[in-house]
Amino acid sequence: MDVTFFIFLSMAMFVIGIVGVLFKRNILIFILSIEMMLNAGNLAFVAFSKTWGDQTGLLWVFFILVVAAAEAAIGLAIVINQFRNRQVVDIDQYDELKG
Amino acid sequence: MVVMEIAPLQWVLGLVLILSSLGVLLAKEAVHACLSFMLALLTLAGLYLELHVELIAALQVLVYAGAILVLFMFVIVLFQDAHAKILHSKARSNRWLIVSSASLFAAAFLLFAIWMPNVNHHVNQGTLQPAQFGTLKSIGKALYIDYFFPFEAVILLFLVAIVGALYIGKKERS
Repeated sequence: MDVTFFIFLSMAMFVIGIVGVLFKRNILIFILSIEMMLNAGNLAFVAFSKTWGDQTGLLWVFFILVVAAAEAAIGLAIVINQFRNRQVVDIDQYDELKG
Repeated sequence: MVVMEIAPLQWVLGLVLILSSLGVLLAKEAVHACLSFMLALLTLAGLYLELHVELIAALQVLVYAGAILVLFMFVIVLFQDAHAKILHSKARSNRWLIVSSASLFAAAFLLFAIWMPNVNHHVNQGTLQPAQFGTLKSIGKALYIDYFFPFEAVILLFLVAIVGALYIGKKERS
């Protein structure tokens, strides 16, 4: 078992998630990219936890899963709210909080 | 560089994982991106199985592929006409700023990747026996005894998230 392989995978997935957050203009793909970054973190946690034989990392994965579910629920609620009020899913038009 | 001893199955799963993650970025339609993300999640569950953490793999399939992705699918289907509208409106953000920050992130991770093989990664001083590691019994014990208060805090966070989502999503009376 070599942890390096899994860390490389996790890093690649995280960078893809960052690029998605920076480039995509559809708010749903934006939230998907955030979920992908959380998943990359999960993979790193599992790989390190397995390498060191300490299952604290698995508990963190559990907590991250719950937080990701909460985040998806809130994010999609905001998306639905904005779409209902203004008919946009373009992230460049989410500027109502701009001062 | 250390010679890696990786099973062929792990290579295949890793390749599928990277390709399907890229598919999320490159897909033109939101539904295709969502399906590509589902493939990535299932591949990740396969990698967890390969690492012999069956509980996390099951959680991954149930929570992510089962619950979150279905939620995403519902919302995407709800907005079918709106996705095409994005292409017609002009982008307001500075293109070069985005490109430079993305390449900065990629360079940082590349630096980390070069540094990574020097890490002593064959440490195995675990306190748990391999047979006990990651089983439902030992994780449940740790979760309900050692990590009881974080667990309760997460429950509270989830409750707040549910109430907040209901409040944000409800129709406003005018």
